[in-house]
Amino acid sequence: MQWRMWRGDPSINDYVDRWAAPRLLREYGITLRTIDGQGPAIVNQLVVERDARARGSADLVWINGETFNNLRKENLLYGPWAHRLPAARYVDSLSPIVMRDFEQPTSGFESPWGRVQFTLIYDSARVPAPPRTIAELARWIRANPGRFTHDQQFTGMTFLKSVLYAENGGRRSFENGFSEKRYAEGSQRLWAWLNGVRPYFWRRGETYPAGVADLHRLFANGEVDFTMSYNENEVITKVRQGVLPRTSRALVLRDGSIANAHFVGIPFNAPNPAGSMVVANFLLSAAAQLEKLRPEVWADGTVLDVRKLPPELAVMFRGVDTDPRAIPRDTLRRYEVSELAAEYTQRISRDWKARIRANPR
Amino acid sequence: MRGLLVAILVAGPVLAGIAYSMLGALGVVGPGASGVSLRHLQVVLADSATWWGLLWTVWIALASTLLATILAMGTAVAFRAERGVDRFARLVAVVPLAVPHVVAALGAVLVLSQSGLLARLAFAANLQTSPADMPPLIYDRYGIGLILALSWKEFPFLALIAFSVIARRGALLEETARSLGAGPLQTFRVATLPALWRGLLPSMIAVFTFVAGNYEVAALLAPSSPLALPLLTMERYTDSALDVRGEAFVLVLLAMAVSLCGVAAHEWTANKFEAAE
Repeated sequence: MQWRMWRGDPSINDYVDRWAAPRLLREYGITLRTIDGQGPAIVNQLVVERDARARGSADLVWINGETFNNLRKENLLYGPWAHRLPAARYVDSLSPIVMRDFEQPTSGFESPWGRVQFTLIYDSARVPAPPRTIAELARWIRANPGRFTHDQQFTGMTFLKSVLYAENGGRRSFENGFSEKRYAEGSQRLWAWLNGVRPYFWRRGETYPAGVADLHRLFANGEVDFTMSYNENEVITKVRQGVLPRTSRALVLRDGSIANAHFVGIPFNAPNPAGSMVVANFLLSAAAQLEKLRPEVWADGTVLDVRKLPPELAVMFRGVDTDPRAIPRDTLRRYEVSELAAEYTQRISRDWKARIRANPR
Repeated sequence: MRGLLVAILVAGPVLAGIAYSMLGALGVVGPGASGVSLRHLQVVLADSATWWGLLWTVWIALASTLLATILAMGTAVAFRAERGVDRFARLVAVVPLAVPHVVAALGAVLVLSQSGLLARLAFAANLQTSPADMPPLIYDRYGIGLILALSWKEFPFLALIAFSVIARRGALLEETARSLGAGPLQTFRVATLPALWRGLLPSMIAVFTFVAGNYEVAALLAPSSPLALPLLTMERYTDSALDVRGEAFVLVLLAMAVSLCGVAAHEWTANKFEAAE
């Protein structure tokens, strides 16, 4: 089996290569190989394969959000299949975050794999009393010029969405699909917020780190006082790896902390869809989900509803939550908000580049 | 016949790529293709980001090529003798040739960034107290760090050629100039420099073309505004909105036009110099 996935994090790679792959081989005789590729690259690859009428090069793809939306729009996914997996009966089927992908119902065309939540990361040694809301953050940025920025990719755009929510009284006004009118009104407040604080950003907001890994580096080297992550536990794994300072902590903004799930899908031209489903089912199994949740492994949230599991397994899930740096689960749940339709992300990203990034003052 | 076959084998894939890009630019193939239209072309040509990106990329390529050339000429002239010291210097000068571009770029981040080696030395010497005191050398508007990294990486290639020019033609021309009564400075001006210039120009153009299209060094060292043309192209090609990806093909063709100008200049200078000799 060929699995096209993002290969940018050693702890995720280890989980897949050293934990999942040997078990798949032992239990099902499946040899799992991974190929590097994420989001837009997956879409491009499949479009090229379709245009060239070539044999599919991947059996499984790791996707979510805009990628899922694009693949569905272009009919590049096999399905529906996900609801037929035996392990799917334990999925947290009441959670809109797991059952919908950027507001779009998954409709069995992708199977949930993990769930994560957006957090800011700060160094408790440098910032003992961090801001807890977007408004407090704006005050902090003004009081500490040059010590805050965000990246230009996925994580940075999620931060901008958090500001969009906060400046428009929550996500409610943007619910149920993309609306040009609501976007136009709502985004004005986002640009106004940014224009107000941008002169106090790192490098006066004239340049931005490319991706969140670059932001982590600026943070670790003391160039800025905040970084961020679309995984509430990344701070734990990165501290363990020695990438971030030991005093790093994550925090959720009280205006709302965006949460989403990530999924595995099967390309329309997958050579062996039945084998793909076996792998997806294995990834969804309680054992695989539990291992993935461990802070020393990846600390990726589970998509299972622990209450549905047999008691002996449920106990093990509850026992994982032991790292003192972790944000308590009830705090995460209290402030979680889901993603908007994928078009919002696309428009914010495009308009940010044209309005803000291209116009440094 | 055999020549033609080789030419087709070499040029075929490139031509296929160009044809695909053209079709992509017209919205016929590729992700988000929605039928023949000039929309992508219009959007890209009307976008100021395109022209700033192009201008900035040409500036980076020109500056790095010139800096690398000056370094190469200087090294070739300063260490021309057959002494051990000079031989060693010439050997050291070509070491960067073996370093991959992306490694050179990472090295530049480690040395030049506001929390890099230079900044740490300045901090240790009490010259600065916080990273922001260090003048920005990477992600900076003028691309100083990028130019330094690229010229360091391209310099040994030009230096190798400069060494051979000096060894093959320099001595003879200089001797002639001296026998006609030229002083050391005049010898350099009328004999050494023109020989180096002629010998290096085709390679300088090759370096310029290569640098103008380089992605990975720019990705690590360039600012987000203006966005270098290769970065802008990649950004459009990986935009989450599918309908934007056709614009990447237009940008690819624009970059190809820059390269073609380089190729034309190369042919022109090569012919001119061959005729002169």
